Amino acid sequence: MREERGHWYLLTGFVIGIVLGLVYSWLISPRQYQDTSPASLLPEFKDQYRAMIAAAFVATGNLPRAEARLALLGDSEVERALTEQAQRTLGEGNAPLEAQALGLLVVALGQGDVGSLPTLVPQATNAESQSTNSPQTDISNPTTTETNPEPTSQDFSATPSFPSSDQTPQVMGTVLSTATPLPTRTPTVTPGSPFVLQSNTFVCDPNLPNPLIQVIAKDSSGEPLPGQEILTTWDGGEDNYFTGLKPELGLGYADFLMTPGIVYQVQMAGGGQTVPDITPAECETQGGGRYWGSWLLVFSRP
Amino acid sequence: MLGVGAGLLYGWVVNPVKYVDTTPAKLRSDYQADYILMVAEAYQSEGDLDLAARRLAVLGDSPPAEIVRQAMILAAQIPYADSDQELLSQLASALQTWSPSLGGAQP
Repeated sequence: MREERGHWYLLTGFVIGIVLGLVYSWLISPRQYQDTSPASLLPEFKDQYRAMIAAAFVATGNLPRAEARLALLGDSEVERALTEQAQRTLGEGNAPLEAQALGLLVVALGQGDVGSLPTLVPQATNAESQSTNSPQTDISNPTTTETNPEPTSQDFSATPSFPSSDQTPQVMGTVLSTATPLPTRTPTVTPGSPFVLQSNTFVCDPNLPNPLIQVIAKDSSGEPLPGQEILTTWDGGEDNYFTGLKPELGLGYADFLMTPGIVYQVQMAGGGQTVPDITPAECETQGGGRYWGSWLLVFSRP
Repeated sequence: MLGVGAGLLYGWVVNPVKYVDTTPAKLRSDYQADYILMVAEAYQSEGDLDLAARRLAVLGDSPPAEIVRQAMILAAQIPYADSDQELLSQLASALQTWSPSLGGAQP
């Protein structure tokens, strides 16, 4: 009897020891991670990281590098994350240039045919993925160009491989010289002739039950212009927003939700024609139902 | 003691605590260097040194110039492209004359 009880004491002691060990290693003195990846950042810092990627993109126009950096954040839907952040930033109203940079990056991601472009990032990352924890040495030897044209987020999960070797400039130069022209890199209103109103149409669309001011900005050749600021003012208030933040509706598209009973004036930032007296109005279905219509304003550069 | 050892092994090595909400200061050094390169790229275009310093502040309490200097050392070791190292160098030079108390560059 005494010997059997002795075995149970041993087992009990072992279990208690494990519990104590876990308490110490998980709660009291957990392993400190000093070498985390951007994917592990707090959401607010991820936002800051994204904004920084967008600012750098606007400064350099280097889309492959921006894509590689975005992949490090591990967002399941990169463009959606950027768009939501741009809209949040616009809503907060304290960093319109940041919002515009995010919007430009979204647009560029939508436009860029990066899948067919050469990029050294996946190559460097593949080398990294076979290594342990020393990306510096691995990414210094990227073989160049055109393999793995559709990098996955998994490919980028381990390393920031873009600022790699001296080969970077040549590769990026090729990318920039063959890529679809990017939207303006300037985080301000695009210089040029003031916009003029091309058309002002009241739209009855049952699929748009809310009263919207829909704006489309085009260049002189009729191509949509993303990143254009629109000023909407009313008695006692104003708001500004940018084209291109809803790329699924067009690169030159933006909209603003009106409040019934308020009269708005709309103008493209940087001067040009003002459209006065925009106010919500109702439409009627064949069955007699009523819903709000929208105003569609098309601005173009002369 | 055997149990404690097994618990520590499991908690520190086999299944350590996963940090999912970290700060930029905890990023691996090459990620930090790339963040600093982004700041340098943006600074080259924007020319706003205060903004660059604020962006660098998330990486820790060290002076911004020191943060960039550390990135330059890593950039030389990796090595970054010459153009990227030049951007870091320009930012570091600009920050040498930047004073947080004045919020701008000193003459």
